[in-house]
Amino acid sequence: MSSPHEETPATSGFVRSYVITGGRTLPSEGELALHALVCLAPGRTLPPGASPEVRAIWDLCAGGYLSVAEVAGHLGLPVGVTRLLLSDLADQGHLLRRAEPPPAQGVPRPILEKVLHGLEALNIG
Amino acid sequence: MTSLFADPLLWVLLVVLIAAVLAVTRARRTNVQLRASNNTLQGELTTARGQLTDLRARHSSESSRHASDLEEVRKDAESATKATLKSAVGTLATLAEEQLALLDELQQKYGDHRAFLADLMLVDHTGSQFSRRTKGISVLCGGWLGRRDRDASVYDVARSAQGRIRSFERVRIHSQANVAVSSRAVEPVAMVLAELLDNATKYSAPGSPVEINVQPVPTGICLIVDDAGLGMDQETKTRAASLLSSGGAVDITSLGDPPKFGFALSGKLAAHYGFHVSVDAVSPYGGVRAVIRVPESLLTAELPTPEPVALDTSHEDEEEDKPTPIASLVIGQTAGGLPKRRRRRGGAVTVVPSSPSEHGADDVNAETASRLKAFARGTALGRDSDNTEGPQNQ
Repeated sequence: MSSPHEETPATSGFVRSYVITGGRTLPSEGELALHALVCLAPGRTLPPGASPEVRAIWDLCAGGYLSVAEVAGHLGLPVGVTRLLLSDLADQGHLLRRAEPPPAQGVPRPILEKVLHGLEALNIG
Repeated sequence: MTSLFADPLLWVLLVVLIAAVLAVTRARRTNVQLRASNNTLQGELTTARGQLTDLRARHSSESSRHASDLEEVRKDAESATKATLKSAVGTLATLAEEQLALLDELQQKYGDHRAFLADLMLVDHTGSQFSRRTKGISVLCGGWLGRRDRDASVYDVARSAQGRIRSFERVRIHSQANVAVSSRAVEPVAMVLAELLDNATKYSAPGSPVEINVQPVPTGICLIVDDAGLGMDQETKTRAASLLSSGGAVDITSLGDPPKFGFALSGKLAAHYGFHVSVDAVSPYGGVRAVIRVPESLLTAELPTPEPVALDTSHEDEEEDKPTPIASLVIGQTAGGLPKRRRRRGGAVTVVPSSPSEHGADDVNAETASRLKAFARGTALGRDSDNTEGPQNQ
């Protein structure tokens, strides 16, 4: 055994992703798209024995709609793993889902410029 | 007178007498000679005996010197083997660790691609086992065991150990204790637990569950591994106990072919870091009950948020101590100068029984939030004005 100062730090993730998923099949990308929105259903209580990841999702999604990508980012987990956890919660009725919003319509540049000028004219702050 | 001389009997007697005298004289002489030769022989015998004793002494000293020489040579060979293995396997262990870190990145990168991610997870699983094996041999040969720089909850230590064995899906973790293992002991405890889980899954029927229970005891906590195998016979138990108590001072060439490093490794790590491992109990399912007892000195206070974002713990305490819902922390992130999105501070967040702690989840998440690539994208695309978020604005 090396003395403590010789010890190299272990940098890999401590809990591996396949353990978090329990080795289960991942849901398809279409099930909860990257930009789909999720939010905790009202009046739900955390299932007993929830994993730390589920508890973190619970915290995150209690505050309002959040995209799948955001949840994954906050958890520091791969999107696919997060998607599995989210779809579990959704299947149990704990989570409300909303399809991703349609992409913004192309607004003509002159209108945007007008809005910008208008805002500038307001001269806030 | 003549008649006397003429008596033949007298002559006969005389002849007999002379013969007798001669015989006696001769016998005496022979006797003296025999005595002399006996004395000589006796002397020689004593000398020979003395020489024999000398030889015996010399032989025993020679053989003991030979034995000690042999022992020394064996030790030299052992340490030479260990040194070679340590360096060779150490390189492999470092590479395995690098590969796992790389796989973490790749899984993030291709996280949205289901098939890629699933395949990467398979590679990750074999990589983790590979890493455990190489680390184990390396440690037994005096090499390093990567050190974790953060405390980890007992639950996460158990899950980490679970991920390092082949049949990880058979492991069930029942953790009641909300206790963390201090950073120094995180990796060794996970390693030993993984070895015990490996044994438990290997020596029980495929498909039968292996359970981890966490039991607080007055001197710390016990991690209890129960399998539903056939248990160990007395010989195996004795051998396991001696390896576990050896402190790792074992000849690695004596561990069989293929070598079984598990108990020797566990003994070494337990002795070095100061926890205790035993495998002599019987599980409620009839198999082996293995117990790791981690003393209080290797434990830390309860963790409020045991896992996920703890990876990004920062030590700044710029936020007030008020418990803030995680969700509120993402406020203010904008993309491309768009209006800031805000979300309600939900009272419902208190659902999570969080215990007071010096490590605010806030800091952790604030740090995380700032680093998220996905965030900006999510913010930009995840909302638009008609998304009924109005009442949630602050």
